[in-house]
Amino acid sequence: MKDKLGNALDWLKSKGVDYADARFVHAESESMRVTDGVVDTLSRNLNVGVGIRVLHKGFWGFAGVASTRDADIKKAANKALQTAKSSALPGKPPAHLAEQEPFMDQYKSPCQKDPFEIDTREKVALLMDINKGLKKDARIKTAEASLDFFKTNKIFCSTEGARIEQDIIESGGGYSATAVSGAEVQKRSYPNSHRGDFATRGYEFIEEMNFLDHVDSVREEAIQLLSAEDCPDTEADIIICAPQMALQIHESCGHPTELDRVLGTEISLAGGSFMKLENVGKLKYGSDIVSIFGDATIPGALGSFGFDDEGVKAQRFPIIKNGLHVGYQTSRETAPMMDQRSNGTMRADGWNRIPLIRMTNINLEPGEWELNDLLADTEGGIFMDMNKVWSIDDQRLNFQFGVECAWEIKGGKMGRMFKNPLYTGMTPQFWNSCDAICNKKYWRVWGVPNCGKGEPMQTARVAHGASPTRFRKVKVGVSK
Amino acid sequence: MIGKDKLFTLFEKVANSSKADQTEIVYIGGQSGLTRFANSTIHQNVNEDNNRIYIRVVKGKKIGVATTNSPVLNDLKTALKNAMMIAKFQKDNEHFPGLPGPENYAQINTYFDSTAKFAPKDRAKFIKKVFIRANRRKFTTAGSFSTGDGEIAVFNSAGVRCYQQLTSANLQVIAMSENSSGYGVALSRKVEDIDPVVTADLAVEKAFLAKNPKPLGAGEYEVLLEPAAVAALFEWVNYIGFGSKAFMEKTSFLSENIGRKIMDDGVTIYDDAVDTSAMAMPFDFEGVPKKKVMIVENGVGKGVVYDRTSAHREGKVSTGHGLTADEQGQGAIPLNIFVAPGTKTRENMLASIQKGILVTRFHYINGYIDTPRAVLTGMTRDGTYLIENGKIKHGIKNLRFTDSMLRCFSTVKGISQDVNLIPSWWDSVGCMSAPAVHLGSFKFTGTTDF
Repeated sequence: MKDKLGNALDWLKSKGVDYADARFVHAESESMRVTDGVVDTLSRNLNVGVGIRVLHKGFWGFAGVASTRDADIKKAANKALQTAKSSALPGKPPAHLAEQEPFMDQYKSPCQKDPFEIDTREKVALLMDINKGLKKDARIKTAEASLDFFKTNKIFCSTEGARIEQDIIESGGGYSATAVSGAEVQKRSYPNSHRGDFATRGYEFIEEMNFLDHVDSVREEAIQLLSAEDCPDTEADIIICAPQMALQIHESCGHPTELDRVLGTEISLAGGSFMKLENVGKLKYGSDIVSIFGDATIPGALGSFGFDDEGVKAQRFPIIKNGLHVGYQTSRETAPMMDQRSNGTMRADGWNRIPLIRMTNINLEPGEWELNDLLADTEGGIFMDMNKVWSIDDQRLNFQFGVECAWEIKGGKMGRMFKNPLYTGMTPQFWNSCDAICNKKYWRVWGVPNCGKGEPMQTARVAHGASPTRFRKVKVGVSK
Repeated sequence: MIGKDKLFTLFEKVANSSKADQTEIVYIGGQSGLTRFANSTIHQNVNEDNNRIYIRVVKGKKIGVATTNSPVLNDLKTALKNAMMIAKFQKDNEHFPGLPGPENYAQINTYFDSTAKFAPKDRAKFIKKVFIRANRRKFTTAGSFSTGDGEIAVFNSAGVRCYQQLTSANLQVIAMSENSSGYGVALSRKVEDIDPVVTADLAVEKAFLAKNPKPLGAGEYEVLLEPAAVAALFEWVNYIGFGSKAFMEKTSFLSENIGRKIMDDGVTIYDDAVDTSAMAMPFDFEGVPKKKVMIVENGVGKGVVYDRTSAHREGKVSTGHGLTADEQGQGAIPLNIFVAPGTKTRENMLASIQKGILVTRFHYINGYIDTPRAVLTGMTRDGTYLIENGKIKHGIKNLRFTDSMLRCFSTVKGISQDVNLIPSWWDSVGCMSAPAVHLGSFKFTGTTDF
């Protein structure tokens, strides 16, 4: 395959392109879901093709083809070249790429048990057992349990001489119970909402989540929520659980620090960013204890890889340091705006898409607190657990999140349960109100398997390290 | 394009080798191109030539599904083998009624050669016109222009042979000044219907009127929602309420409200996939003809859509809203929604508002807050204005809303006679058709800085 891609790139070189790269992707996936004891999803999927990206006289073109035949690859190369030529309208400064060592390397994600080798019956049986446990009470109207696995082989070649092969296995799963009583609908999930947790690991990751140990508590909490009090409309100190923190980081720090958004090239769909270039090194994004890094090198984390889809090696880099905005997620085209080289965040969700700046593992560094000490230190407040609703403006300032469940914190202890909790705020004010972060013991990288961006839409699998974190005087409960 | 005859000949060969009781093969493929622009320059320009083939096999009550993107006989046979292997491991699905037989399908034209032949250089010419119109008034632009052609085939061993060719063209323009933006959109199966000058001028005028926006406090306001805003709300309302799964699981606001008044008399919403004024499509991904389904009629909850499995479970008949086999667990969902027009003009409605807010579109809506009451939250975007004494007074900074759509669409004061097509999540097989709507009350719950 490297030869086939190399031949297409040689042909493009002969046509005078500034730069070109070619990616072969062989993507297998398996998806299964059991709903109320019925296997309503069980499919195996294969998606194979080649994508060719061309930079000609500073203008981009791309073509993807669902074939690995030489003739089709060459046809795609020509289409990418012709498309790049058609992009050349006056006004745009030609793109220049930051320097990059052309790696010849390979990478494999850590995997002890290939999920595609695990007997499908075993996986279905696990989901059935979860369903049975969740449905033990008739008030659970819907029980859902799912597993998803991805196995990707990709080869990246460039006209600069890069030749990189990567094999990445991703596994994930989770479940939820929806309790219904009249017009009251409440849901609890494990280990996270929205299909659970994911990692670039094998089936051992599923086993380590000990799904069956949590079935009873998920079922019972969903039922308890039916009769819980509404979360009060108030201003409160809140402690946010780690998986909800993952989404908080995702929406209010991950997206606004994608440099393509900052430069306006994602305006047409997702919007821009309030974190402007001129404010780097000046914007007090958060309190002094807030440090956020991008890190694609964490073994097994969902946003980890060996090289991005521009052939840049996975890296760890600072975004927020002691509350100060210090950096962005960058690409080879955008990094020169910062007088930097790319920090390796360009990924495409398949052979048929161009790479875009995508979050890797964007992590809030752990603090010093024990969770019990943090609760004890919170005289009156609310503990927010697990995402249900997310929404943020197109500059990433005004956000509103809802969670499945909350608990009152009174006298330093968790008290009564609240349903329908929402909290809302403005990003910098919110992060500047952060005054306590739990320590490494509570810190974990949470996979987010469904990050949408770009046109045509691409779905990236990214992740966020977080531990329970406290924010002061947050507006809570605005659903009425 | 592979073509009807070649596809069905190929699928016959695959099905003939199948040891299943029933075999279904669905093909979705074609070519698409999308040119994206920002800062009044083209920065992304992409083409895709792709296929998706979904093979569903049925052994007794066990179902196996495998997909591939290779329309080559050997690869299809491998996918068939995978589907058979999965079926072997499956549990019985008592709700599955088997694959359908052939029926009569609406004969409609959804393919236009002019769109299919539209090349990247043609898209660039259109976009250049957008840049010129915006530059004249010193606005920059961002947006995208996509064109594509494709074919969908549904084949099954019970005799279904559905085939449809489709084209689509979609231009979206955001015009921007340093502190304002405006939005224009055009969608059609026929590229000649897309007018880059009209779309750009609309976006520019909106951005012009929104310049130097002033802050306005959150609160309950009368609103005039333009078609893109109405479509965005009902796209989410559809997702949480109009499909069979949400209805059966009792999370939909319709679950307990069929035959009951849930919105104002003026609100009628239906799904009609064979209406060629929108992005029509005559059959679903199970090969069932699309039927017109009334969802809300004169404010009264009327029904939801079904695929074969959910219909069988509920003792109903499929309405022709089945998704592809790998998505069957999602139940059925409407893809061709019409919010029925009214009798007013946008200008009449604007003139009748003493104090209110005009919303061009919404951003990042989420509807999981309280689905039985259809509570949504989201932000305004690309042109939000204060209306005073029947006129747009000035642009205002964007606002967050959080409100029950049942509540606010019970306060309808007017609906426009004109409708716009707005693109939706489901791309070339559907869209939203929406009018402008004047609501007596809409709750804004937050503000932002721009």
